[in-house]
Amino acid sequence: MTRDQKKILKKVLFYLVLAIIVIYLLFPFYWAISSSLKTEAQLSMTPATLIPRDPDTGEISIFTRNYKAIFTNGGFIRGLINSTIVATSTTILALLTGSFAAFALGKLRFKGKAPALYTILAMTMFPQVTVLSGLYAVINALNLSARVSMIFTYLLFTLPFTTWVLTSFFRDLPDEIMQSAQVDGATPFQTFHMILLPLTAPALVTTGLLSFIQAWNEYLFALTFTSIDVEARTVPVAIQYFSGEFARQEPFGEIMAAAVVVTIPIVVLVLIFQKRIVAGLTAGAVKG
Amino acid sequence: MAISSSSNLAKEEQKLAFKLLLPAFLILIIIALYPLGQVFYTSFTNREFASSTKTEFVGLDNYQALLSFTVKELDPIIDQETGEQAVDEETGEKQFQRPIRVLPRDPHLYRPAFEFSFFGNKYVVGARTPDFIRSVWNTLVFTFFSVFFETLLGLIVALVVNSEFKGRGAMRAVMLVPWAVITVVSARMWEWMFEPTRAGLFNMLGDRFGLIDGSYSFLSSANLQLPAIIAVDVWKTTPFMALLILAGLQLIPNELYEAAEVDGASKFRQFFNITLPLLKPSLAVALIFRTLDALRVFDVFQVMLSQKRYSMASFNYFQLISARKMGMASAIGVIIFIIIFAFAILYMKSLGVDTE
Repeated sequence: MTRDQKKILKKVLFYLVLAIIVIYLLFPFYWAISSSLKTEAQLSMTPATLIPRDPDTGEISIFTRNYKAIFTNGGFIRGLINSTIVATSTTILALLTGSFAAFALGKLRFKGKAPALYTILAMTMFPQVTVLSGLYAVINALNLSARVSMIFTYLLFTLPFTTWVLTSFFRDLPDEIMQSAQVDGATPFQTFHMILLPLTAPALVTTGLLSFIQAWNEYLFALTFTSIDVEARTVPVAIQYFSGEFARQEPFGEIMAAAVVVTIPIVVLVLIFQKRIVAGLTAGAVKG
Repeated sequence: MAISSSSNLAKEEQKLAFKLLLPAFLILIIIALYPLGQVFYTSFTNREFASSTKTEFVGLDNYQALLSFTVKELDPIIDQETGEQAVDEETGEKQFQRPIRVLPRDPHLYRPAFEFSFFGNKYVVGARTPDFIRSVWNTLVFTFFSVFFETLLGLIVALVVNSEFKGRGAMRAVMLVPWAVITVVSARMWEWMFEPTRAGLFNMLGDRFGLIDGSYSFLSSANLQLPAIIAVDVWKTTPFMALLILAGLQLIPNELYEAAEVDGASKFRQFFNITLPLLKPSLAVALIFRTLDALRVFDVFQVMLSQKRYSMASFNYFQLISARKMGMASAIGVIIFIIIFAFAILYMKSLGVDTE
């Protein structure tokens, strides 16, 4: 085999591996999209078809009523609204308190900094499930509504994460900025919110987005706290308890439509902020 | 004068730092530390949620009920006619006495958790709460295999994406797609692919290639449940792993490879002598993160198997919500906490991760 042939073979092999990876990562999502465009009859066709086809003629036939059905389904719409409220509120709270703490940890000198840092780091690994029964008791004792409970308890994972990532961003900002501001007579707090905060805006967007996604994703607390309040169910819980319009035990056509609808906005966001998200994820983990 | 003003400044800074840290730490105390104390305390009581029974202090009862187990040998059943061990006529398997006969009943009933064979003898593990013992086992098996495959696949994906080729940017975007899918949604998507008729993807494919007869019920048969769940988790988390490893790969200076190339080292040797050792810190962190995450797995188990098979977390959830046993659920919470803590320490020690 000549050198050129070897090179070509290598290239072919490489692209083959690449293609396999792409198919592996994307195919389940494609399958969900394709299934969401099938009728009940098409869904129960055996063998299943890769593209929605008419059971009798075998022609391609696309069915969009699953999408209409989920948008007339009160539970799903409510889930979307609840999830948006909960994830947004918890993210704002986490960013607010987290950026304060991160500024102190990243830029100020004070006694007890090391233990404080370790506490935050340990908290990023805190297993939420261990405090499940304790939080449930607290929430029942305080008679908090399910939505408020979720907003508040989601800080258990969003707050340590935002604090940890933002701390490393603050630390990387040059000290000279602070010093020159101090020379100009600014108090540390003024320096923080007038100079440093705007500088960390990109980091805020990244961590905000990541904690939003985490909150959007959360299932254990949501399932537990909404067990008495059906109205407050978030998207994951709503999808789990989906009962469809078209009679069937598990309306998979509609479930897949719902899956596609809730995934697409996140995918779009992720693609727009791709570079930042990767940076934020690796900052949260690699430096951790 | 100058000294006192600078120490004043330091004091100011100290004060400001405490003020800024206060809200975050207050929140963490309310939602983490206090409930943790509460869980710890409740685990020693028989508290039940929304019930009229009085809460009493029961000491270690909950822990004993969860963790007590016993191993008993099962005697073979001897066929009266032949004097040899009886064999099941249908399956051809050797028969042993039923576990119920050897497990203790007083003062507590032990039920079989699982059976295993060792040197031709058969043993049964009996437990007072077999579901919990099994849930710990399920979680450990799940954690081991999912983290193993995620690391392996993540490494392959990262190595591929790290090389120069057209469409590398698009590839990175593709990598984020499974990560962006909500866990519950991905569980639902795979649940549909695992459909036990040929309407399900895997049965359709298996049937087309003549591997299986087209009616495998992946989520009902005991042997396939864990592999199915692991497959979902691996798909969902491989991208995250790949991203972390990719970040580590990009820290390795290119000159090292160039030097190795000049010295005539093969790609294979380059991988084992340069890439892998230098990747160790990133891999270690990724491993810790994923292991601690996998040990608290809930979503996939709850959605796909519900009460058919538990993880530690889903067992905790069902004790709390369905059985309303708060004391018991709290004890499970404490045990999970200890297990995860032990893993964290073990990992940090053995991999020598620097937290700085």
